[in-house]
Amino acid sequence: MSRAVLLCALSGCAIDTLAFKTKAERRNLDCQRLSDVEAAARYPGQVPPPPAKELAGGMGDVLACSTRYLQTGERPNRDEAILTTLSTQVTELADSAGAMAPQTTRWHVDAFYPSLPVAQKIAVAARTTLAQRGFIVSDRVPTLAAGDVAFLVTLPQSEVYRIACARSFVTEVLGPDEALLGLMIVDPKETQLHGGVCLRGEWRWLP
Amino acid sequence: MRAALLLSLVSTVAFAQSEVDLREKQMELLRAEVASEVQLQAAELIDELVYGWTKESPFDVDTGVVLAGVSVPVSLGTGLEAYLENHVAGLVVKNPKTHVQFVHCPACSAWVVHSGAKGTVVTRGYDDPEALAQAGVSSGAKHALFLDFEAEGASLVLRARITTLDQTLRIVSARTLTTATSTPAMLRDGERLTSVAEARKEYLEALGGRGLFLVPVRVGIRNYASGTQATTNATPFLWVSTGLEAAFTQARAWTASINAAFSWLPQSHVAVMAQGRLSRLLTGSATSLTWPDLYAFVGAGVLFGQGRGMLIFRTSQNPTIDEILNANTNNEPRSTLGILTIGAELRVKNRISLIAFVETLPALENEDNIGTYITIPIVGLRFQSFGVEVSFCF
Repeated sequence: MSRAVLLCALSGCAIDTLAFKTKAERRNLDCQRLSDVEAAARYPGQVPPPPAKELAGGMGDVLACSTRYLQTGERPNRDEAILTTLSTQVTELADSAGAMAPQTTRWHVDAFYPSLPVAQKIAVAARTTLAQRGFIVSDRVPTLAAGDVAFLVTLPQSEVYRIACARSFVTEVLGPDEALLGLMIVDPKETQLHGGVCLRGEWRWLP
Repeated sequence: MRAALLLSLVSTVAFAQSEVDLREKQMELLRAEVASEVQLQAAELIDELVYGWTKESPFDVDTGVVLAGVSVPVSLGTGLEAYLENHVAGLVVKNPKTHVQFVHCPACSAWVVHSGAKGTVVTRGYDDPEALAQAGVSSGAKHALFLDFEAEGASLVLRARITTLDQTLRIVSARTLTTATSTPAMLRDGERLTSVAEARKEYLEALGGRGLFLVPVRVGIRNYASGTQATTNATPFLWVSTGLEAAFTQARAWTASINAAFSWLPQSHVAVMAQGRLSRLLTGSATSLTWPDLYAFVGAGVLFGQGRGMLIFRTSQNPTIDEILNANTNNEPRSTLGILTIGAELRVKNRISLIAFVETLPALENEDNIGTYITIPIVGLRFQSFGVEVSFCF
């Protein structure tokens, strides 16, 4: 931080110092610390190249901050927390899920989240991640019959996924070579995604 | 009483409604502002996606693909979707090596109601291609492209997938692309897509081409204010100078220069000057490749001149008529003067600039041979000279 401020003061670099930002503006910043070698490469003309002795040792660092695309308060807090960490959370869950089924399994993905647009974002992220890992992935979302759904909504949430999984297998909505990756929040107040895999009628939560 | 209560209720509701309207308008303005910043990065991600297809196409032969959907970050509007649809379509048309041929299929994105043995299903057309085929409104395309953008903190993420338009809806190609945090968009040319590395190299070359050092050649004129007691005025001095200018960084926010100048006027003077300047960029923190840059500078120098034209700079004694008319060059007056300068420079692409400045001659601070253009009141600093220069940088 002090190094970045110092660099800016000496060389007039383009990175604004945090000293001139209000608290509200600071809350909308995403910052990362870079070595000055990397900072000079990433921000040519703005961060001066480090001296030769630092090129060898890589001692200096620069704090590079950028403003978030969507500012605090523009989206509901829970949605913002989920979407900001979407790649990280979904990648971890998809990797865990991929290890639970054979490579020949056809994957379906569904997300259960109160906001439909956010649920679609979660599902798309998981499908894309699985497909990039080389798994067979379908865009089709398996759906139970209306009668099954009407019954499932009367069950406690801890039982819903297990029974829905078993029902999907029995009614051949999901075949023996197909798996469903479900992503959801369990508590309405949490911002941590959970995942479970439905394979051959058996529902297993992801670690 | 009841009427008053009713009026109060109506006014309260109206006020609340107007406040809601105002908030919605402010939100729309904010969204439009954000979208205008997001669109460059989103277009950059599409550039990279299509460039990737030109290098490794998802298809071996030209294949009809339906652009099934473009979804933008949650809370942004549909204007951005339309822009991105046009951008990706334009790029694909300009880059046939992708083997992607967009097919028009309005029914694909329409809601389709399909009743069968298992029940009635309401879906988008691309989610139920069999229903489209049965209805005879299928475009014939076998694949659909989905582009999904999401703002994750300070990064924009594009998830692109191509699915088969059959019963399986299998994803045959998927890519996730992310903007590097706050790295500026490369703004690649659609007809000559290059990789990020190549675009970055071009950018660095554009920056590096300017170099840290420049050789300015300046032609200028200095005019001196008329003195209150002088019998004659100083002639304007025409100067030609050259030197070396160094920037501390490629941004050229701070520069320093030294230069040597020469002035000669027949029957008047021969003068040389050495001067140093320190400049600070005022218009932004880095010089622009497309717009003029404005610098402010301070400088200091020393001037030595010889000839009758230098009589006016002599201290403690006003020039006499005899001295001015004296053509005897064996005893020409000489002057050595210190100079302090402040000024502004308008420079275009580090090539041509126009400079205006005022100078003070401290040795003549208390002399009345030369007048004053500007006086700084508190410190009583007099600027006796005004000049303009045109500079060419090499």
